[in-house]
Amino acid sequence: MFRQRVLRILLVLMVLFTQPGCWSSKEIEDLSVYTGLALDKGEPNTLEREFEERGGSYQKHNKVTATVQIVPERTIGNSGKDGETPKTHFNNISETGDSLLEVFRQFSIRQNRPIIGHHLKVIVISEDLVQKEKIRRLMDFVLRDNDIRPSCLIFLSQGRASDTLMTTSEEIPSFRLAEMVHNNFRTSKVMKGITLSNLDALMYSKQSFVLQNVVEAHGEVEFSGAGIIKGDTGHWIGNLDQHDVESIAWIKGDIKGGSIKAYDQSNDSITYEIKSVKSKITLNETDDKKISFHVAIESTGRLIEDWDVKEHSSNVGYFKELEKIFEEKLTQHINSLIHKMQSTYKVEVAGFGDWYSIEKPHVWKQIKDHWDEEFTRIPVTFDLKLKITDFGSTSD
Amino acid sequence: MFKRTDDKITTSQATIVLTNSMLGAGILTLPRDIVQGVKTPDAWVSVVLGGIAVLIVILVMVKLSQQFPGKTVFQYSKKIVGNLPGGVLSSLLILYFIVIAGFEIRVLAEVTLFFLLEGTPIWAIVMPFIWVGTYLVYGGINSIARVFQIVFPISIFILIICFILSTRIFDIQHLRPFMSEGLMPVIHGMKSSILIFTGCEVVMTMTAFMEQPQEAVKGMVVGFCIPLVLYLVTVVMVIGGLSINSVITSTWPTIDLVRSFEISGFFFERFEFPLLVIWLMQMFCNFCSFFFNAALGISQVFNLKIHPVIFALMPVIFICTMIPQRINDVFSLGDSIGYMGVLIFMLLPLLLSIVLLIRKKGLKQNV
Repeated sequence: MFRQRVLRILLVLMVLFTQPGCWSSKEIEDLSVYTGLALDKGEPNTLEREFEERGGSYQKHNKVTATVQIVPERTIGNSGKDGETPKTHFNNISETGDSLLEVFRQFSIRQNRPIIGHHLKVIVISEDLVQKEKIRRLMDFVLRDNDIRPSCLIFLSQGRASDTLMTTSEEIPSFRLAEMVHNNFRTSKVMKGITLSNLDALMYSKQSFVLQNVVEAHGEVEFSGAGIIKGDTGHWIGNLDQHDVESIAWIKGDIKGGSIKAYDQSNDSITYEIKSVKSKITLNETDDKKISFHVAIESTGRLIEDWDVKEHSSNVGYFKELEKIFEEKLTQHINSLIHKMQSTYKVEVAGFGDWYSIEKPHVWKQIKDHWDEEFTRIPVTFDLKLKITDFGSTSD
Repeated sequence: MFKRTDDKITTSQATIVLTNSMLGAGILTLPRDIVQGVKTPDAWVSVVLGGIAVLIVILVMVKLSQQFPGKTVFQYSKKIVGNLPGGVLSSLLILYFIVIAGFEIRVLAEVTLFFLLEGTPIWAIVMPFIWVGTYLVYGGINSIARVFQIVFPISIFILIICFILSTRIFDIQHLRPFMSEGLMPVIHGMKSSILIFTGCEVVMTMTAFMEQPQEAVKGMVVGFCIPLVLYLVTVVMVIGGLSINSVITSTWPTIDLVRSFEISGFFFERFEFPLLVIWLMQMFCNFCSFFFNAALGISQVFNLKIHPVIFALMPVIFICTMIPQRINDVFSLGDSIGYMGVLIFMLLPLLLSIVLLIRKKGLKQNV
């Protein structure tokens, strides 16, 4: 009886000891977590070239330089003790090659801790590279990989992409970029973040699209406009400026906040703070099968800044005057975008195609493969209504 | 302590057994399967139409089973068409259950290996599941039903939470245009949408275990509608969240939906892990249901005791699980299971009902 009980307890203990384990576990301290990935045209840096001179190379074409931003956790424990200023919290390393995974594995012969992609937050691709290589090729590995999540954000960069992950502020550059996307409630110059799963759908649809552009200077970054990726080729073809990005948001009615600045008759700055925006795109067809788009935009906002201090800025008549000025300014911006889309780049990236496909799915099926050219022939008219509903806490 | 010895389950237990027999690994891949068939955002219409078609099948199966109270399909098929043909038909059904049980475990292992436990050998995942499953199935229908009752609310709760959180990337425009190409693509997609309801065949055995067989219609219809609604919600949320262009290219679209957003400052930041871990239990239930039905079938058709049969089935299921070599083989096995399901329906409930009707009404025989 006693014996049986001992045996049973032993068995239970054995089971207990074998259960709290994980077959393929790896301690997080032994891994390099990378949070950012930058892809550039393949140009080996000095370190790589030196390695190569000393025989450290393998068979490859230098097509793409991948830079990963590794976030070490060790600095946290060390800093503060001796009053030392903590150095950069991150470590960027680059390798050049023609297969992303091979490049990533190549880091394993340079580093003691293998890299792991669970926490990748941003991917920055340089425009130079997308001009040469199809974006679908560059993204193939990250879409297939099981560690990298589809919630990762994608940006383009005007200069070298690796520079955008080198900002000098306290914050980790890749986190900074990822969090900057949340600022689109302040200005619609910040586009809605395009995640990997959005990008997957965009690339599959073969329609042209835009990705937010990152510009770097002196260790600082800024979101500036957007780069256009041509749908049928998958290459970068040009840039839109900050106003164009705003105009796209106006057309889509997808604005959470922002402002319009214009100049009044005496050339003083006046600024309109956006409170709400509604837009409606309608597709009109005349009897002879001519198609045209009409965009009706309605917005309310506040007169938030008026450098013309002589004016009484609570007068309704005065507001109506200003509304006209703002509407003109906005029309100017939107027309410039339409001009760029229809004449300069011959692409459509403001969501008209989506409307077309919803309104006329049958016709869309026939024209979707050459939608960009089709769009250049379709007239677009606008009807803007801005309304200043209040003037802030002073009317002087 | 109160212990049930009669192998009977209540109506609500029967409902949950049916629900858990259908809700399994299918939910992880079903949006892609259907979107590939339909190719327009109307995929969810296919789910509804397919569901209605299968509902009729279920009604036929329940009505047939109610003619023989307390008897499973393995027993009454012999009565209707004779010993040998009945045995052959039952064996087909048994084979079908074994293959699904193996398939279910394989998908479970594939998805776990890819997202959760990279590097663990596949047998180390498959074997414990078969062992634990054996233990549960050994306890009989009552234990199974009770485990299902515990697991079901938990797994559904997590699934619903994931879908609620995914509304942050939901865009109604992804579901438009509605019916742009008429009904044809929807009909075309119904083929795949019927396949996702495989497992409803357990109706023909569950009715026999019910305490109140007269309530079978109610219980089974509810048990079928729960997965139908969940499938519908899944398809709508996945297409709305990812758009059909992304769903078509995704291997595990439902998981990709959950992987497409991060929620900082919440209890979990990433929801694919809780979803996968909890859904493992659901897939386990699914597997046990088929395991039990296969064992029951063999014991009833060949007049064997059920317990040795259960043990004998363990290696068979393991082999079934390990046969597919590539992931493509796994998915094409899933498709073949769907076609087998249609064939099984033609042969069993339909054929049996017709023969029964002819013998009873036409030949006035007493079956």
